[in-house]
Amino acid sequence: MALHAAVKGKLISVIGDEDTCVGFLLGGIGEINKNRHPNFMVVDKNTAVSELEDCFKRFVKRDDIDIILINQNVAELIRHVIDAHTAPVPAVLEIPSKDHPYDASKDSILRRAKGMFNPDDLVR
Amino acid sequence: MTLETKEDLETDNVDVVCDLLDKLVLKQLHLMEEKMVCELNIESCINNGSIHLAKSRYIMGQSSVSTARLPMESSPEFSALTTCETTEEDDVQQLKVVENNNKSKVNPIRWFGVLVPQNLHKAQSIFQNTINVVVECVNVQLQLFENMRNIDALKKYVCLAKS
Repeated sequence: MALHAAVKGKLISVIGDEDTCVGFLLGGIGEINKNRHPNFMVVDKNTAVSELEDCFKRFVKRDDIDIILINQNVAELIRHVIDAHTAPVPAVLEIPSKDHPYDASKDSILRRAKGMFNPDDLVR
Repeated sequence: MTLETKEDLETDNVDVVCDLLDKLVLKQLHLMEEKMVCELNIESCINNGSIHLAKSRYIMGQSSVSTARLPMESSPEFSALTTCETTEEDDVQQLKVVENNNKSKVNPIRWFGVLVPQNLHKAQSIFQNTINVVVECVNVQLQLFENMRNIDALKKYVCLAKS
């Protein structure tokens, strides 16, 4: 019976600035697994873009993560990697931060959805 | 004669598919609007939470509510309090928030001290609520994905039928 552990839910991970990370971790989404891998990354002005890319790719590869929250201003730095991720799960959700309000024209998903109304596409 | 009926049938089919495409495109616009509304809700939640975090920072000191208090790779392992589970509704994958029953969980507010100001408790409940809004937004996004997939498939069908 002890072997029958309850089916574990999937994690919500976060890549963002200090306040976003502190807030969501306070909300209870943070976890450090037995391999000591956290499901969050705090981004400051000294964080390298390559580091961000690596972290994002690592989160996408992990099969225990279902949602990746990323600040929109951070997502702008690694836009090519986010655009290349087309699978629905893990879902990448761009969220605003307190310094950068939400801009729908930058959102990868909405841009892709809007692309369907492309005039070239409709003529086909 | 047989050829003509076959052609008629095909035009009928294309008309039906075009009607369906119209409906899906309209649904797409509604979902896009819904997603934007969700994102604006998240924005107001985050702004509210950030104000309370800033107030607690003012009361407790600059470094008391910062990344320095968050667990690092060297800290002992612990489980998330809130996770999400996959369910299926009308053949579309949807997520829902579930509380984790694992024993190795900790209350995150303890990272910031034992006697923390009321504002930090408020910030915690606001961000817990934000998680619900976030999952709602992800669900809209998943529906949007499914809708886009359907539109693509129908467009391909129309292209094939016309050629």
